[in-house]
Amino acid sequence: MKITIENNEAKFLFRIADTSLILAQRMAELCSNAPFLEEDIAISNCSLDLFGRAEELYKIIATIEGNKFTPDDYVFRRNEREFFNIKLVEQPNEDFAWTITRQFMHDVWAKEVFTQLSSSKNEELVGLCSKVLKEIEYSLLHSRDWMYRLGLGTEESNKRTQDAIDHLLKYVEEIFNFDDLDKEYFSDCANIERVWQEEINRVFSEINIERKEIQPLSMRDFRDGFHSEHIGHLLSIMQYLPRAYPDAKWS
Amino acid sequence: MVVIDINKKYPEIWEFLAEVPDPEIPIINLVELGVVRNVEKEGDKVIVTITPTYTGCPAKKLFEDLIREKLIEKGFEDVQIDTTLSPAWNTDWLSEATKAKMMADGISPPTDDNKVVTCPNCKSTNTKIISKFGSTPCQSFHSCNDCLEPFNYFKCHR
Repeated sequence: MKITIENNEAKFLFRIADTSLILAQRMAELCSNAPFLEEDIAISNCSLDLFGRAEELYKIIATIEGNKFTPDDYVFRRNEREFFNIKLVEQPNEDFAWTITRQFMHDVWAKEVFTQLSSSKNEELVGLCSKVLKEIEYSLLHSRDWMYRLGLGTEESNKRTQDAIDHLLKYVEEIFNFDDLDKEYFSDCANIERVWQEEINRVFSEINIERKEIQPLSMRDFRDGFHSEHIGHLLSIMQYLPRAYPDAKWS
Repeated sequence: MVVIDINKKYPEIWEFLAEVPDPEIPIINLVELGVVRNVEKEGDKVIVTITPTYTGCPAKKLFEDLIREKLIEKGFEDVQIDTTLSPAWNTDWLSEATKAKMMADGISPPTDDNKVVTCPNCKSTNTKIISKFGSTPCQSFHSCNDCLEPFNYFKCHR
């Protein structure tokens, strides 16, 4: 099955939907593996929100595309180069500080993204935004809170958080290299970056974290389906069952 | 506060739906939870519109199955279930009677912006949050500073 995307709005929405899906899958890896029980539940809950968000976005995409494919097709039948998530969210759960930093950076971005999409002409999308924004706010409460606990915790937790930030910042630049499609569907692209930088810098300055000059990796843009090496491993686990047993159904 | 008047054109079907318990909080039913938004009929077909509590609520699919099962049991053969996301579900749709049922069952019901959380065991408001995430997406985990009872709180969601 070759998945095709015809419509510009669908093409744009894949960036948001795939980002939700891939982050959800990353966090699901921590279900039963988080450092302690409450955190296990918290991460799994946030992961569920993201899976739900992705599912609803794929439904909207499917409608726009005339229901040629189902949300399941989009999730399980595409290859690496056909995913359009930001590279930040496919980075592995190397360390708890990575998980939290990745979440915080994503949540700040997602909040402004869905705020802007609330004024979309697509009514289904507007309805989804009003739900999603509440969930993002809750996730942000959790990830921001952890940034403070880690940054201001011990020497070790501060160091690991600084390491996580130094690494993950390499994947940030592409997020703000907006193209024509972004400009068509976001109401104010520049504001997405402004809001993000302000909030990240504000929090870093309060938790003894230094915002270093980070050289972005010279990798091609996620908007063209380019990724870091991690996506393939992630997809191989996520897509294993429907690929091995096509059209398998729970009975 | 968002209050949406529901036109209960088919009271009999609404009664049947009120027999379907919430799979995660069985003390209340799906109508009380506010997830049933509309009931329509087209000839013999019954169309029930529901809205999820949270976008990733794992009970979403179960809601549909339970509703379908109940209506088939009541003799409706053709049941269609639609989902709507707008207006977004919120805890203002829970009535005072529903909240009282939750409290009696040991789940602290949602209060104004989560400011005061009451212990369902001793009714003290001297309580603390243990985890912002509880056993279901709609609950958080608390404990009482007076009677030491640990309990679930149904988060205020607006």
